Amino acid sequence: MGKKDYQYMENPFQVTRREFLSITGAIAAFTALPAVWVRSRVTKRNNYLRARAAGLYLDDRNAKIRVSHGNPVVTKIYDEFAHAPLSEISEALFHTRYINRSKGIA
Amino acid sequence: MGSSRLEYTLGNHGSENFRGDDIMESATKSFQKGEIPGIIAIDEATCKGCDSCKRHCPTGAITGMFGAVHRIDADRCINCGQCLVSCPFGAPFETVDAVETVLTRLNNKDVAVVGIIAPAVRVAIGEEFGLPAGTLATARMYGAMEKAGFKILDNNLAADLTIMEEGTELLHRIQGELSGGEAPEEGHGPLPQFTSCCPAWVRYVELNHPALIPHLSSAKSPQQMAGALAKTYGAQKIWGVEPGKVFTVGIMPCTAKKFEASRPEFISAYHHLAAGGGTYSGEAFPDVDAVLTTRDLARLLKKMGIDLAKEPGSAGDSVMAEYSGAGTIFGNTGGVMEAALRTVHAVITGTEMEPLEYRDVRGLKGVKSASVNLIDAKTGKALQVNVAVVHGLKENIGAIVDEVLSGRSPYHFIEVMNCPGGCINGGGQPVHPEGSGWMSAIAPLFAWR
Repeated sequence: MGKKDYQYMENPFQVTRREFLSITGAIAAFTALPAVWVRSRVTKRNNYLRARAAGLYLDDRNAKIRVSHGNPVVTKIYDEFAHAPLSEISEALFHTRYINRSKGIA
Repeated sequence: MGSSRLEYTLGNHGSENFRGDDIMESATKSFQKGEIPGIIAIDEATCKGCDSCKRHCPTGAITGMFGAVHRIDADRCINCGQCLVSCPFGAPFETVDAVETVLTRLNNKDVAVVGIIAPAVRVAIGEEFGLPAGTLATARMYGAMEKAGFKILDNNLAADLTIMEEGTELLHRIQGELSGGEAPEEGHGPLPQFTSCCPAWVRYVELNHPALIPHLSSAKSPQQMAGALAKTYGAQKIWGVEPGKVFTVGIMPCTAKKFEASRPEFISAYHHLAAGGGTYSGEAFPDVDAVLTTRDLARLLKKMGIDLAKEPGSAGDSVMAEYSGAGTIFGNTGGVMEAALRTVHAVITGTEMEPLEYRDVRGLKGVKSASVNLIDAKTGKALQVNVAVVHGLKENIGAIVDEVLSGRSPYHFIEVMNCPGGCINGGGQPVHPEGSGWMSAIAPLFAWR
C-alpha cells in the first residue's frame, strides 16, 4: 500500500464540441424522419378528404338555388301532395320512431 | 309480415350473395325481425390480427387479441364500415351485396328502377374510374345511370325535404321551450335536438343511450324519405307506374344505409297506400328495396361496360333530380347544420342569411360549435340558437352525450355524423391505400397542425 495508486481508467473518449453537435444533430434527424413520413401520410389522407368536401361546396356554389325552402320541387311536393311539413301525410311518410336496443348488448 | 319480411328483405337486399349465415345465428339480440343482422364481418383467412380496425371502431365491437383473428360482435356493431375502409389487408367485407339483384331488376322492363343518389357519392365515384379525388361528377353519374336503366331521384332533393321537416320540428321544440317550460306537446320532444340522418349514429343511440331517443329528430333520413316519396308521389305523379313496380335503390357512401333500409319501420309507403291514402291492395314492399355503396355502383357500371369518366352527362329525367345547394352539402360534416341554419334563418327573420356560407361549422375540427343571433320578424324579440357539430363518433361524442344526459347542454341543435369528415369518408366510399379512417386515429399526435 502506498507505493502506487492503481486506478482503473477508461479509455478517454474525446470529441470536440463541433463533433458532439454534429453527432447529436444526425441522431435527431434520423429520429425525426419517421415522424415526418407519418405526418406526410396523414396530410395526404386529409387532402383527399378535403378534396371531396371541396367538391360538394363547389356544387353548392354552382347551384342556382342554395336554400332548401327555395327548391321549387319541394314547394311542388307540398302543394300537390304532402300539404306542409309535419302534416298528416308528412308524419306518415317522412317521420319515424326509434326503439330501445340496449338489452341487446347488456 | 313476420318471417316473410326477413325473406323479403334479404331477397331484395342481395340474398344470393349473403355471406353472413354465421352472424345470423350468433347475433339477434339487438335486431328487430326483418333487419339484416350485421352488415360488416371479418374474413378470417385474410385477417392478420394487426388491430388497425380496433383503432377505428367507434363502439368497441371488434374482439380478438393482437396477432389473432379478429371478429365483429354484430350486436355492438353500428355498421359504419370504418374498419372496412381502414384495414390494410382488406379483411372486413359486407355481408350483403345487391349488385346482382339490381342488375336483374334493370333488365326487367316492367320495373321502374329508381336510383336515389346521395350527395357524397358524386364527389368520390370518379376515383373508381380514374378521376382525381373530389371531382364533381353529378352529370356524368346521371348519364351513366340513365344508360344503365335507372330513373334518377337525387337524394339532395330529399335532403331539402329533410330540412323542411327537421327544421320545422326544431322550431316547434324551441317554441315549446320558450312558451314557459310546460310539458312538450305531443310530438315536440326536448332540446337539444339531434340530427337523425346518420343510421350509424341512430343505432349508436338506440344501443348505448336509449335515454337520448326523445332528443333524436323524428325526421327520417333523406334516403328513407326519398324511398317513401318515390313509391307514392313519384310513382303516381312523375313516372306514372304502379307503386309495386317501382324498385328503389339507394346509392350511398355508407354501409349502415343497407341496415337502415331493412328496418321494419320503413314500409311506410305501403302502409300509406294500403290504408286511407289509396287503393293499393298488392303485396307489401319496403320503402327502399336495395342499397348500393359507391363501390357497388362502380362495380355495377363496370359490369355493364359503362365508363363513367367518358360519359357526356345528363341533367336527369325528371324534376326529381332538382336540388338546392343546401341539399348537396349534407355529405360534409357541418353540412346538415349549415343547410338547416339557412332555412331557420329565413323562417324566423324573414330574410335570407347573408352571406349564405356559414364557415363556423365547416372544416375537420372534431367538435364545432356556434351561436346564431336571430331577430324574430313577428315578435321583434332576439333569439339565440346554439348549435354543435360532431363527427368522428369514437373520439368526439362522449362529452356531448354526457352534457345532454346531465341536462347541462347549452345547445339547441346538434348534428352528428359517425365517420370522420362526414359521409364523404363513409364506409361505402372508394378505399384508398392510406386507409380512410386514419385521420381520427392519428390526428392527436399532430396537434400543431
